[in-house]
Order: sequence, then structure tokens, then C-alpha cells
Amino acid sequence: MKTDLRLGDMLQARGVSRRAFLKYSSYLASLLALPPSAAPVMAAALANAKRQSVIWLSFQECTGCTESLTRSHSPNLEDLIFDFISLDYHHTLQAAAGDAAEHAREAAMAANKGKYIVVVDGSVPVKDGGIYSAIAGISNLDMLQETVKDAMAVVAVGTCAAYGGLPGANPNPTGAVAISTLVTDKPVINIPGCPPIPEAMAATLAHVITFGKLPELDNLGRPKAFFGVSIHDRCYRRPFYDKGEFAESFDDEGAKQGWCLYKLGCKGPVTNNACATLKWNSGTSFPIQSGHPCLGCSEPKFWDMGGFYKALSEPMVDIPKMVGAAALAGGVAGVATGLLNRSKKAKAVKSHQKVTVDDLTKGDAS
Amino acid sequence: MTGCEAALAGGPEQSFTASLLGEIAHLLGQLAASGTGGAIDLRSLPLQAADREALERALGRGEVEARLTTAGGSEVFETTYPGVWWVRHRGADGRISSETIEVTLIPEILKTHADDLAGARGRLAEAIENRLFEFQAGEVE
Amino acid sequence: MTSVEFLLLVRGPLFAIATLVMIFGLTLRLFEIFMLGRKANLAATRAGGTGPGFRTMFRRFAPVDKATFSQSVLLTIAGYIFHIGLFITVFLYAAHVEIIGSVLGFRWPALPSPLVDFAAVLTMAALLALLWRRLTHPVVKYLTKADDLLVWALTFAPVLTGYLTYHHLVFSYSWLLAVHILSVELLMVAFPFTKLTHAITLFFSRWYTGAIAGEKGVQL
Repeated sequence: MKTDLRLGDMLQARGVSRRAFLKYSSYLASLLALPPSAAPVMAAALANAKRQSVIWLSFQECTGCTESLTRSHSPNLEDLIFDFISLDYHHTLQAAAGDAAEHAREAAMAANKGKYIVVVDGSVPVKDGGIYSAIAGISNLDMLQETVKDAMAVVAVGTCAAYGGLPGANPNPTGAVAISTLVTDKPVINIPGCPPIPEAMAATLAHVITFGKLPELDNLGRPKAFFGVSIHDRCYRRPFYDKGEFAESFDDEGAKQGWCLYKLGCKGPVTNNACATLKWNSGTSFPIQSGHPCLGCSEPKFWDMGGFYKALSEPMVDIPKMVGAAALAGGVAGVATGLLNRSKKAKAVKSHQKVTVDDLTKGDAS
Repeated sequence: MTGCEAALAGGPEQSFTASLLGEIAHLLGQLAASGTGGAIDLRSLPLQAADREALERALGRGEVEARLTTAGGSEVFETTYPGVWWVRHRGADGRISSETIEVTLIPEILKTHADDLAGARGRLAEAIENRLFEFQAGEVE
Repeated sequence: MTSVEFLLLVRGPLFAIATLVMIFGLTLRLFEIFMLGRKANLAATRAGGTGPGFRTMFRRFAPVDKATFSQSVLLTIAGYIFHIGLFITVFLYAAHVEIIGSVLGFRWPALPSPLVDFAAVLTMAALLALLWRRLTHPVVKYLTKADDLLVWALTFAPVLTGYLTYHHLVFSYSWLLAVHILSVELLMVAFPFTKLTHAITLFFSRWYTGAIAGEKGVQL
């Protein structure tokens, strides 16, 4: 498909009316927390925009992020994003294989120098020269650096790309790192989640295409529209937390009553994501609604947060094992100090000299 | 008692609807005075299903209803308060993708866009040119 | 450092260090105190000391006599409120029961969170009143040393940060929770080596006082 056409003209030829653009834009404006008045402006901008070249790199990943974006149960508005972008390289989705696939990437890079977006899912192993993951004989590290060089922006999709995720979890045998660790001279947008919410990925890309710039990001590089508020703050079980009504196990009365899952290890209070409002599987539900605590999958180090079923406030180390040793050491030190005190006292008693009346009157006599 | 009065007369649980109605009344006044109204994105508000229903009951259905068949269905209707429109877009799966109250003479989504108009002119002219239409024998002189 | 990394640090290694230092310090201090011993009682014992010892331990939780009370109304009222409030917030808040339970292996019922919240507010008010007294009362001001202020701050900080965390005020929850846990860890480390140790030693000294009086014939 030609990429020099305006999206409005290109899609009109396929029977997509400007009403569809407006409809999509009002959906987008709502998702991105923009005022409804922004929708017509966005529709016009989108219709005027060129098809955006996107190169999708998959490194240490499980393809769950791609699944999340593409496997909606029925055609959705999110699918429209595939009309707005030209997915020039995605080794899971593209028909080409082998050399032809790599040529597609190189061709797209040359044709859209400085204008293409690189989407990355998966972390990059850097230990031992980055030998632990390679595609077409090119290490992930080399491919990332080569592809990103002439990109407009980089979108790190999924927790692995955004923060290292599972490959980066303790003990991190391959030295997996986040994309933002390696790409420091280009804007990087993080859309974490395991997988990320499809609307968050689609709307963020659409934002870049529509406005030609990045959405507002938080201190972890995430779009504030989706990651500005914690799961806990939007959780429908929040009133139970405030009242102090907690499920103590997965099958007790509290669990049946739908009480707060904090004690069962819910990471909702420290997890910023939109699951509680956008939900999953066509708006059906989200983990907490199905009775399972939030794992905190869109936060850095979520695998190493001391266990999925351990309450957030609980210590992560096995204290009782060390208590005995500490008490023993304290006891020994206590006895030593006690003995020292006693010997000091004994010495003091020993060197004590009794004062006689004579001693006191000596001065008077002279 | 109108739906609006019922909403305003209700208990504290109706206060959300009441404040939205106040906002709509304000926009309506603005539309009458200056010709520009405004819109309220219902999805961006923490509305419960019951709140939304209460608001819909309060505003009621007016004279105009339209259905869009583009990219999944959409419903657009004017409420019993002319100038106050309810625009509800759905995705192909029937799920509501966006829902706004628009205070305007006519919602943007109902108007024909200039680009679509140009496209229509071209397509129609082309169709006539290529004699794509079949007519009953008696109709053509 | 991100808020999550900070939280992991305070929940992990720092919590372990704080707990171990506290336990080490407490055993050290207790052994040291017990090894001081008692002077042999040369006088004939008139009555048993054990009973009065234990009774004194608990009798002294009861309010003081009217004369003492009227002399220091603020101290008595604010003192009771802050000690009881602190006990409630520390030991009867659901999240705290969960932590202590995870270390000790057994749990007890918690109070409804709004009640604990109320207790925390009272505790903070009482602590502020006591600080004001300390800084304005000429005698107390004269007696106040740096460690008194330190101990006050170490006690006040966890209550304040806990309150902010519970209500999600000012900062994000993860930062607040991490700072709250850190403030408790500072309190734990300082506990055996400051006046805070009285929370444990008061029982021994009360028993000692009661027992001596008992042996001398005053059955308290």
C-alpha cells in the first residue's frame, strides 16, 4: 500500500467515511482523557496524516503483547490502528521470512529515515556481549541499536521491554535490561503490562500519529492517561479496604463476599494501570473482579516483589530464622557487658579506702 | 413531575445526576447566547450504570433519533430538551466505546463531511458516466 | 531509585537489619540489666514479694491519684491518650496484625480501620500537645535533651506517615508506604538504645518496686 497518501483519502477509497474517523477520534479522546471538543480536531489531523511506518522488534518476549493487541474477540475500534500504521516489520505477523524479512526492515528504515516508530516487545540481554538472543544472526542488542538510530520515537511495549520483566527477574542470567536503559538519545514511551492493555497500546500509537508528538508521560515514561492512577484508587473493592474488611483466604466468607484482597497479596495500591476501568476481554472483567489479587504486572520488578500472595506491607525476608542468631549474639554481648560492669564494680570496691575520723581532722590539727 | 424534577428531588445518590444536569443547563445557556455549546464525556466520569440510567431518564427522548452503521453501531438522539443530544458510539462488538452529551444545534457526527461530499460527487459522476445504473425499460425515454 | 525499588529495599534487607538490631539490642540490654543483680536483703522478710510485685506491674496502669492529676492534667490525659492510641494503631490495625503475624506465625483479630484511623489522629494530637508542653513548660524545657526530642520524633513519624499512607495523601502510595516502613525501622533500631526501652523495662522495675515493698510488709 502507498504511504504517501493521506489517511483520509486512502481509507475513503475503502469505504471508511470521515464519520468513522470522528467516531474513532471521540473514542480516542475519551481514552486519552482529552476534552470531547478535541475529537473533531483529532479526526481532521488523523485524516490528514500519512500512514505511519512502524517497525516492530521482538526480543526476549513471549508474544503475549502482540496477542493482546491483535486478538480481540471481534473486530474492534482498536483494529483501526492497523489501518493507520504500516507494519513494515514484525517477524511473527509478517508473511516474509528469512532474508526477505530483514530486507523489509532495512527498506522501511531507508524509506522513512527519521520518521518511523520502533515498537519493541521483550527485553534485551547484554551479558557476554549480548549472545543470548539473536534474530537472523544479529544480536538483539545490535538490531536495536541499528534500527533505533534513525527512528522518530521508540515505544517499549510490555513489562519486559519497559523494565526488564521476566527475563530481568532475579537472578537475571542473561543480563536482560529495559529498552530505556539502552536507548537514551530518542524519546521512549513505556507501555508496561503483562500483557499491556490493547487500548493503551493502540491509543498511544494513535496519539503519536495524530499529534506528531508524545503523550504526557509520568516519571517511569508511561502515558499518564493510562498509568496516572493506581488500580487501588479505581478498584470497586476499595470501600472494603477503607472499612478494613479483608478476605483472609481464597475460600473464606470474606472472599465470597468480595472483600478487599490486600492481605492475599494484592499489589493494586502500588500498581498504576487502567485495568479497573478499561478491563479485559472486551470489557468483561479484570483480575480483582475475578477474585484474584493484582500481581502488579505493569510495575518494575514485579516478579521480585516478595511473592504474589504476600501482603504488600509484609517483610520479604525470613525473619524467624535470623532472630535466634541475633538473640544469641545479643545475649553473649549482654553477658560480656554485665561481666565487664561487675569487674569494674569489684575493682572499685577493692580500691575503696575507708575514711577515718583522723583523716578528716588532719587538717585541723596543724 | 418531569424526569428532571424527579432526579433533582431524589436523595444524595442523585446528586451526581443533578450536578451533571446543572452543567448541561449552563452549556445550553451558552449555546443560546453565543451559538457555541459544548460536550460532556460520560466515560471520563466515575458514573455507575444506575447514574447513567438516571441521567437518561432525566433527559428523556425527544423528537430526533438517528442510527449510524459505521464501524459498529452508534445511536444519536435529541433529548426532550432541544439542543441537548446524546451520542453513544459502539464498537463492532456492541460495547460502548464512547458516550457524550453534546449541547449543539446538530452533532458533528451527523453532518456530512466536505471530504465525503467530494468523494460522493466523484463516485456518482463516475457511476453515471459508466452507466452503472439499470433502469426499468419504460423509465428511459 | 524508583518507588518500587525503594519499597523493595525497606521491605527486604532494611527490615531484616532493623529487626535483628532490635533483637540484638534488647537481649544485650536485658542481660546487662539482670546481671546488675540485687543486693542481698539482710533484713528478715516480713511477707512475700512475688504477689505485690506482679500486682504493682499492673496496678500502675491505673490513673494516678487526684492530687498528682490536678498538678499535671495535660501530661496525664495526653499521656494516656497517646499510649493507648499508639497501642491501638500499632497492634490492632489489620495490616499491622498481618505483618506481625507473618513474623510470629500467629494472628489476632484487628479493629475496623476507621476506628484505628481515629485513634491515630488522637495519638498525633496528644503527641503534639506533649511536645508543646515540653517546649514551653520551664522545668521540662530545662530538663529536655536532644535524645528526648529524637525519641519524640521517632514515635511521631510512623504515626504521621502511616496516616498519610492510609489516606493516600500528598505523595503516591508506594512512596508513602516505603517511607512509613522506613520510619518504623528507625524506631526499631533506636528502641533498645534509648528511653524507648521503657516499653519493656517498666515491667521489671515495677515488679522490683512492688516486691521490695512486699518483703518489707507493705502488701501493695
